Amino acid sequence: MTLAGKPRSEGMATGTAPRARDPNQPEAPWEAPYAITTANGYAMCAMRHMYEYGTTSEQLAWVKVAASHHARHNPHAMLPEVVTVEDVLNSPLIADPLHRLDCCVISDGGGAIVLVRPEIAKKLKRPLVRIIGVGEAVKHLTGGTFDLTISGAARAGPMAFAEAGVTAADIKYASIYDSFTITVIMQLEDLGFCPKGAGGKFVADGNLISGVGKLPFNTDGGGLCNNHPANRGSMTKVLEAVRQLRGEAHPAVQVKNCDLALAQGTGFQLATRHGSATMIMERE
Amino acid sequence: MAAFASRKLAPPVITAENKTFFEAARQGRFLIPVCTACNRAHWYPRAICPFCAGDKVEWRAAAGKGTIYTFSVMRRVKEPYIIAHVTLAEGPTMLTNIVACDAHEVRIGQPVTLVFQDTDGGPPVPMFKPA
Repeated sequence: MTLAGKPRSEGMATGTAPRARDPNQPEAPWEAPYAITTANGYAMCAMRHMYEYGTTSEQLAWVKVAASHHARHNPHAMLPEVVTVEDVLNSPLIADPLHRLDCCVISDGGGAIVLVRPEIAKKLKRPLVRIIGVGEAVKHLTGGTFDLTISGAARAGPMAFAEAGVTAADIKYASIYDSFTITVIMQLEDLGFCPKGAGGKFVADGNLISGVGKLPFNTDGGGLCNNHPANRGSMTKVLEAVRQLRGEAHPAVQVKNCDLALAQGTGFQLATRHGSATMIMERE
Repeated sequence: MAAFASRKLAPPVITAENKTFFEAARQGRFLIPVCTACNRAHWYPRAICPFCAGDKVEWRAAAGKGTIYTFSVMRRVKEPYIIAHVTLAEGPTMLTNIVACDAHEVRIGQPVTLVFQDTDGGPPVPMFKPA
């Protein structure tokens, strides 16, 4: 499996412009006039999450703060500077309630995963990582009867955990797709790392920082600080999870005895329709 | 900040599936698709009911009333606007814009009422303003 994208050099510098879509798609006439964009779509999810659960901008900011603490150890990260909650809140509002620092970077980049049969894997001279559980789900507007505080991970996650025979409490490291800070909070809840609505409290006070909190996440700096090369955003998530399981992450962010990791991806747009994929991996 | 759809709105592509809706919109009538098999209204409009897959969907007059399910003020653009999902009195929630109001007045749960907004050379599209 491969990923290669160069949205940055191709000029896709922002998530604030509507993306060109096929006008013949059935939803096109009901979306295009309203200028839904990546940023304001995720912003609507954040707004509803705040309304239902009392999630705050400070809590959203903690996701970015944690990512920045990891990015400073990554020489390739686009944004290697450590930021504070105040820095996030003081950055300009892009689409209420999301500030600029709630949004991921847009970068060029690529990645690849090589899958081999067990008998071949045994001959390779690298620490081996085995996929033990996967789940996939699609979420849509379902005739106008949706809940925007829930992502497809609420279905994909339980499938992956059931197949793997483990629970969220067993996971030592999690790569969570992070187009925006709210994306991480919603998926953590849906995957069962905390109850629905408690994601804001869960991520606060450095709980996602490796060596500090209970659930180290995105130790490469993630999309928020490191890279976001176009679609297939899960690729970079799987790569860092594999580094962690092989013990090859940067020593400053390497999780001790990391033998079980999760990678979570989301494709397209939480506010309308998206695909969700969960993968659980263990070190052999 | 005053928010209204001052930007040019691209006209929707008219298809066999949505033709009746936009013909009515030109006359200022807001229609909603209702399935005659399961008796449920849905949005966005489809010829096949998204709940029961029934093919007897008919257009009915809708009240043009709703409440704001969620919204966001889009600020980092030349002409700021308010995107929203509005839950209609008939049940389904639809993507739209909130217009003719100040951005700081908009709240989740707020009652809103339909206003048709002209597009650039096409039929008007449904948006909402505070009731």
